[in-house]
Amino acid sequence: MKRRTFLAGMVAVPVAGCGLSGTSNSGSSAGGQVTGEITFQTWSLKPKYTDYVNGVIDAFQQQHQGTTVKWVDQPADGYLAKVMADASAGTLPDVINVPPDLSFPLAKAGQLVDLDEVARDAKPEYLENAWQAFEIPGQGGCYGFPWYLNTGPLFYNKALFRQAGLDPDKPPANFDELEQYALKLAEKNIAILGQTPSIADFGLYGVKLFENGEFTFNEPKGVELVESYKRMYDAGALIPEALTQNYTGAGTKFMAQQTAMNPGSAYDLGKFKTDAPSLYANIGITTPITNTGSANMFLHGVSVPKSSKNQATALAFGRFVTNAANQVAFAKLASIFPSTTKGGDDPYFTTEDGSDEARVRVAAAKQLKTAVNYTPVQFSDQMREALLQQLADAMLGKKSPKEALDAAVEECNRLLK
Amino acid sequence: MTHRPYTPWLFLLPGLVICLAFTIFPFLNMIVLAFTDASALGGGQFTGVDNFVRMAQDPKFWVAARNSLLYMVCVVPPLVLLPLLIAMLAQKAVPGIGIFRTAFFTPVIASAVVVGLIWTWLLDSRGLVNNVVEALGGTRIGFLTDSTLLLVSSMVVTVWRGLGYYMVIYLAALANVPKDLHEAAMVDGAGPVRRFWSVTVPALRPTMVLIAALSAVNGFRVFSEIYLLSGGTGGPGGASTTMVLLIQSVGRGLTGEVGYASALSLVLFVVLLGLLLVTLKLNRREDQL
Amino acid sequence: MKRSPVSLALRYLGLLAVLAISIGPFLWQFVTSVKGPGEDVFVPDFIPDDPTLANYGAVADVVPVWSFALNSLGVASVNVVTNCLGAAMAGYALARLRFRGRRFAAVVFAGSILVPFEAILISLFLVMRGLGLTDTLTAVVLPGAIAALNVLLLRNAFLALPAEVEEAAIIDGANAWQRFTRLALPSVKGTLVVVALFSFMFSWDDFLWPLVVLSDQEKYTLTIGLAYLQGTFVQNQRLVAAGTIIAVLPLILLFLLLQKHFFRGVGEGAIKG
Repeated sequence: MKRRTFLAGMVAVPVAGCGLSGTSNSGSSAGGQVTGEITFQTWSLKPKYTDYVNGVIDAFQQQHQGTTVKWVDQPADGYLAKVMADASAGTLPDVINVPPDLSFPLAKAGQLVDLDEVARDAKPEYLENAWQAFEIPGQGGCYGFPWYLNTGPLFYNKALFRQAGLDPDKPPANFDELEQYALKLAEKNIAILGQTPSIADFGLYGVKLFENGEFTFNEPKGVELVESYKRMYDAGALIPEALTQNYTGAGTKFMAQQTAMNPGSAYDLGKFKTDAPSLYANIGITTPITNTGSANMFLHGVSVPKSSKNQATALAFGRFVTNAANQVAFAKLASIFPSTTKGGDDPYFTTEDGSDEARVRVAAAKQLKTAVNYTPVQFSDQMREALLQQLADAMLGKKSPKEALDAAVEECNRLLK
Repeated sequence: MTHRPYTPWLFLLPGLVICLAFTIFPFLNMIVLAFTDASALGGGQFTGVDNFVRMAQDPKFWVAARNSLLYMVCVVPPLVLLPLLIAMLAQKAVPGIGIFRTAFFTPVIASAVVVGLIWTWLLDSRGLVNNVVEALGGTRIGFLTDSTLLLVSSMVVTVWRGLGYYMVIYLAALANVPKDLHEAAMVDGAGPVRRFWSVTVPALRPTMVLIAALSAVNGFRVFSEIYLLSGGTGGPGGASTTMVLLIQSVGRGLTGEVGYASALSLVLFVVLLGLLLVTLKLNRREDQL
Repeated sequence: MKRSPVSLALRYLGLLAVLAISIGPFLWQFVTSVKGPGEDVFVPDFIPDDPTLANYGAVADVVPVWSFALNSLGVASVNVVTNCLGAAMAGYALARLRFRGRRFAAVVFAGSILVPFEAILISLFLVMRGLGLTDTLTAVVLPGAIAALNVLLLRNAFLALPAEVEEAAIIDGANAWQRFTRLALPSVKGTLVVVALFSFMFSWDDFLWPLVVLSDQEKYTLTIGLAYLQGTFVQNQRLVAAGTIIAVLPLILLFLLLQKHFFRGVGEGAIKG
């Protein structure tokens, strides 16, 4: 907020919104009447889900006469810039669709309504792990209604497995096997993975990521994981680009059939079908490798900014969008999963019809009951980059795995402040 | 005096207002932040020159500054010369020339993502070039994974993208070279190479200085080429990072360290302004000749 | 001038060589955009097995291309006019008029070129908000309405004009504005065409600023609209490629139309015309 004061001080023209700091504003309290107009901003859902979202909005307006919900959908590209600009000017829409890594900094800056305070009764309606994902650890408060979830299988390329003389129906089931398979593939000049481990991979390996307000992934178990990757890298089992590649980049390499395995989401299958049909013909699907018994999970939620002038309606709508019935209907349209306690019981998520899609869906739904969002909410983009760069140095042998992880943890803790 | 004293300012008014209000003023706003510890959404205590002290001790800053400088020095000569040669090639109205000129310009309007895709396809570890190298018995080269080669590869892309853009500026400028100068030189028996150096180059000097300045600024400020070729990072371990890559990685998103990023931007700006004032001065000397 | 068939052949050889290195990305985009559903997208293959134009139709189904294109066209056209006129005026003053503060003005324009746009994005948004212009197409146009680069380009063009022409006009009693509109402006047609092209192109391609400053989807420009092709759960690279082709086609046509006018410089403007 100080920053805005600074800007307001400098900007000679009166910047009306700048005085409206997130904390001091109270147009109408959360307990007010559900009526009037609100704006709902979503993350890249047009045009495929236009009918669905409009349906939800119509139903809400029917239920609460006198309300109007204006829907704006922003493309994924540039979403962050848009949210930043609006947050700086105090003009965020009344209900915004954000993943935990966006809601966390907003909540920390005091810009979001605390649901534990104003919608406590909502908590039992959602999966515990999903609700937790929107809490600020150690500080309490929940800053978003969990919306859709996703988790995914591990995809592999059966053709490449065959080339290396591996049984295409027996993918690696644990980290030891992963390394063995990697070395086998590498003998035939085939790379298995397209990226170095992400923070979530450390979590899946059973590394303690964060404890007592500090990052701890340089513990011995973390070093063990990096050492395994170093052996794979030296054998040529990671593509050279792995040192700089992000998740999307690694996915592209997998689709170009340059790597043999790639963790993915349930909806990736559809992407393979349209963009890489010859990979799709050879696709193998297996459960993610984990030492903890829990798969990784991604999620989105909806938050209500404190700057909203109609918080009561915004909260009611946020809760309505994410209720069990609406989430199940949405999940059936897109390859995602509901975050409500009852949502997963729908037969759609428990019975297979023989298709690959259904198989992935049922497996993923089962997986989600225990899945964890391993990435700590505090883990920012800057921290992700620090980890990536240190791991690159470790792979290149410029630093030992331990030194690299120590440096990454130190930088992350500095950024944490 | 051939005009009233305020006349020039009337001519300048619209341009100055736009540039001052929508570029310089927001920039001054940002400079204030360079002396604070502002984050993207709060904080912002005045911290004096702390950010600059931190910068001096930040090894990433020195790597970025060195890479940016190197980048600038390497891309300017080809970007001043090659587009001029292409412009001369494309200047003469032979049949079908419109198609050629348009094709030369397409890299400028092609989307950055596609440019990234095609160069990655050419240069990555299993790319076309490496396949050829291997077929000829060589070992694969880490064009995109070795921190030095990544810089060189990016420079190639920068020059390639600049060809069509600067060609257009040269084409317009070539039209301003009086034809009689060429004819006079031909009467004197000067060959095409002599005419290029003794007629074309001197006549194009202001344009060449402008293009040198532009390509230097853009070279020092390189971002997208390295970003696209290195998958959004500054190369392995960040060893190929440049000033703008560093600024955007520090300041990006809701978790960005806006104060430090602003301080870096300020340094970048001051360096470039110094550079530009020198070229303007050079240019001015030309005017008076 | 000698015009031997050999030198002509050499010229075409050179043209073809440059063509070969320039055309890659455009070809890639085009080929991807006509690939049928059975073909791989990330594996390069410049001859589609099953070419189809269906992807173009699909883009139009997904995105209201025409209404977005109309917004883009409006913004880009205004940009062309403001840039050609405003930058020419400023460039003329810098090049042909003597006055105190000329150096200051030159530094303001030069400095503007140096400011990285990303760095001022938020700050600029706050300025627009202060002016009450957010969510208007005016706000989309304003920051680039008179680009500093164009001012410098035109300044150079005016510098190249022979001084004698204007001196005669001064003796005839023409004031600065008359000299500007009647003598100087027609002489730099080539550079004006380049400025028009660049202004149109930058405005047409701009993505981040219109996205940040606009909220009402009715006002969205084409580049934002096409970003919807990369949906959260649905992506089809063929549609993305078709979208990019649709977006660059007007620019290519514009270039094709304008390229012969780059030469309307001194020779064909002031002296003949």
